[in-house]
Amino acid sequence: MDILTQLKKQTEQVEVLSLQNEKTTVEYEANQLKTCTVAETKGTAVRVIRNGQLGFAASSDVSAMDKLAANALESAAYGDKAPFSFPDFKPAPIVRTFDKVVADLPIARLVEIGKEMLDLILPAAAEARCNISMERSLFSASIRNQKGLDISFKTSPLSISLEIDVIQADDVLILFDQVGTTVWQDDYLDLTRRLVDNLKRAKTITGIKPGKMPVLFAPTGTLALGLPLSQGLNGKDVYKGTSPMAGKIGERLFNEKITIIDDGTMDGKFASASYDDEGVPRRRNLLIEKGILKGFIYDLKTAAQSGVESTGNASRSLFNPPVPSFTNLVIQPGETALADILAGIDEGILVENVLGLGQGNTISGAFSNPLALAFKIEKGEIVGRVKDLSIAGNIYDLLKNISAVSKEAQWVYSTFYAPYILIPEMNVAGKG
Amino acid sequence: MQDRIKEILKRSKADYTEIRIEEKETTRVVFRGKDLEVANANIDKGGFIRCLIKDKGWGVATFNNLEDLQNKAEQAYQCAQVGSVPERIELASVDPTENITAVEMKRDFRDIPLAEKKALAEHYNQILMEHSGKIIDTQAAYADSFTHLILANSEGTYIEQEKPSVIISAFAVSRDGDNVQQAHESLATTQGYEYVLDKDELALKAAQHAVDLLDAKPVKAGRYPVVVDQTLAGVFIHEAFGHLSEADFVYENPKAREMMTMGRKFGKGLLNVYDDGSILNQRGTTLYDDEGTPAMRNWLIREGILVGRLHSRQTAARMGEHASGNARALSYRFAPIVRMTNTAIENGTTPFEELIKDIELGVYACDAYGGETMLENFSFSSGYAYMIRNGRIAEMVKDVILAGNLFSTLENIDAIGNDFKWLNTGGGCGKANQAPLPVGMGAPHIRIQNVVIGGE
Repeated sequence: MDILTQLKKQTEQVEVLSLQNEKTTVEYEANQLKTCTVAETKGTAVRVIRNGQLGFAASSDVSAMDKLAANALESAAYGDKAPFSFPDFKPAPIVRTFDKVVADLPIARLVEIGKEMLDLILPAAAEARCNISMERSLFSASIRNQKGLDISFKTSPLSISLEIDVIQADDVLILFDQVGTTVWQDDYLDLTRRLVDNLKRAKTITGIKPGKMPVLFAPTGTLALGLPLSQGLNGKDVYKGTSPMAGKIGERLFNEKITIIDDGTMDGKFASASYDDEGVPRRRNLLIEKGILKGFIYDLKTAAQSGVESTGNASRSLFNPPVPSFTNLVIQPGETALADILAGIDEGILVENVLGLGQGNTISGAFSNPLALAFKIEKGEIVGRVKDLSIAGNIYDLLKNISAVSKEAQWVYSTFYAPYILIPEMNVAGKG
Repeated sequence: MQDRIKEILKRSKADYTEIRIEEKETTRVVFRGKDLEVANANIDKGGFIRCLIKDKGWGVATFNNLEDLQNKAEQAYQCAQVGSVPERIELASVDPTENITAVEMKRDFRDIPLAEKKALAEHYNQILMEHSGKIIDTQAAYADSFTHLILANSEGTYIEQEKPSVIISAFAVSRDGDNVQQAHESLATTQGYEYVLDKDELALKAAQHAVDLLDAKPVKAGRYPVVVDQTLAGVFIHEAFGHLSEADFVYENPKAREMMTMGRKFGKGLLNVYDDGSILNQRGTTLYDDEGTPAMRNWLIREGILVGRLHSRQTAARMGEHASGNARALSYRFAPIVRMTNTAIENGTTPFEELIKDIELGVYACDAYGGETMLENFSFSSGYAYMIRNGRIAEMVKDVILAGNLFSTLENIDAIGNDFKWLNTGGGCGKANQAPLPVGMGAPHIRIQNVVIGGE
């Protein structure tokens, strides 16, 4: 008997998630093709609510459905009180997340893309050691529940990540970024070009006197600010009371140049889909508008705990129950051209990459990161790389005072869209 | 299944083909504070096929759908075909083996209802919570897993093994004003459910240490003679020395190659270190590794001299040595890489009292609480520690961080205790995204002269 039909008889509520994925990975290590792997995943996860209590179990063995059902029921016997119901079917926006071109990319083509990347990097820096990882997945899932919800969707995510290490004597330079998409993009070499530009610029090394100065965050650098911010916007931390933004909806918390949106409905983007992992339609969630806190992201459970509705942000892997997580996180570009922002800086730094993202007490808004790649800006010009510096601060203070947000913006780390952000004055520490 | 696997291996066009089929059932119960956080069971069943074309490289396919092995083998072969290795890959020879083994547990944890496992974790959590008003947060966990593993290759090896594991752990956070301390204890076994019953003392120890640490003063930084307990000694030899013995690391890293020259003096004559996956019922025991090489005792340091290292078949061939039984994979999602099994400092002859009796001022460092190594430099935090004063154990101290150079530290080991013990803590080792892999560590108490201790 179908596991949904069977468990419907024994419980108040039941949800069955079936997923299937075929992931092809091509990896280059130190400029050499290292391995090629095909990984197929297939499995079923079940949540039940019985006597008001939530149970969870999962299996990657399709022939073990009876045991899976028994495990879910046993888990429910000791589960938390479930404050929510599995959702009714609701029509969702049509979001483009599947592309036959991506789906049909042969392994040989992925290998070739890696070669094209190396051909751009090595002529510019023969001493570079490049690690490249290309992952192409064909993912499909179906979610069914006792209310008759029965949806299925498929996506074709493709990601390319690139790390370039240049180690000369005691100078260690590491550049890293990643792009992701679900539809084919002809500009797949842009990531490499961007890193090569930085590599060329980084060849000139200069110094700067540590202290208070303007700091311009490049799109890759804004992650140092975006990470604590996104944590504070997560409904789970809001419910637990650990988010500094809890209870402050409607308040102006940041500079009016800051607008932040979580949008899982953008065509072709890496984290896009019509439905979330509980079958709730994905949507565009305006979180911060012109500095004013507008909302948080939730899945069914945290939404019910907080007395609100799910924002369609449930995310899960086979063996773990859902949690709220961001889809595509967008920091809205601003009004000022990057050239004009640079022109206004007499002496300051441009932060491209930081080290140790996410370490420390980030939920409080605090961050403290050594700079992996930063440049000195002098009289409006980028004059060279600066080393051995670090930045620290708290986003809840820093983002109150912003002098500019650039018109130009960039997709970085696959799911993060960010402009350049200028903080007029912050402390930069270093050897001096 | 056996016939199907053999048929596919026979048909494979690759120079070498390997198949693993893994079936794993896990149960987990976690209490956090007064709440039950997790109580569930998962089933994970999957396969791994890799093909080697010696002039091209490896290709790998992993999967859950076991119906279509033939197709997966072809995918792995196609993956291997796109490769282009700079040098031809050879594998050190290993005699093909056919062996099917099953474990017997006194009380098989698969027959114990979840209710009973939950009650056990709840009981240990209760002990943590009730121990003192100063305990502000707790975590008590029970986890078991039973793995059935098939390994076969195109050279005629066919092995079936069973790997049970049960772990209990207790974690306590104590607080007095702004002073927040924590302590952790765990117990792991590859045997039956009965081993994790009646372990109240484990929870009590974690709770008591967390409370005691509130009153402990930070150690005064300086150089001390240090006596290290079995746990910290075991973790030290695994982290600071063992990883350097892994041939893939040595091979890829010219600096490490230079450091790890056979015959180099690594310590005084009393120091002996080995890795041995064949010792029954230890956490890193793996009678055959994930390439089918039988486990054996590999001496790494003998009478203070570096005499061996750990290999997969590929690294062994590359360095002209023999396969040592150390190619291990975390699960069917991963290819085997060089890993430790059970790593130990061999037992010595000095009783504990003798180790401390001549120390006027020193440190007795117990338990490991994280650490970092970078080539020959290491830094480890002990979980808790005591001062040694005039040959006796004195007051508890905290924030004891041992830092130094591996070679000078090994050289400074001047006495080895006679109280060898295998650690049965539940942690694991991480390398190349494959974590936590169960490993065993063992040591007696050891005394090290002139150790730099960080602190206040």
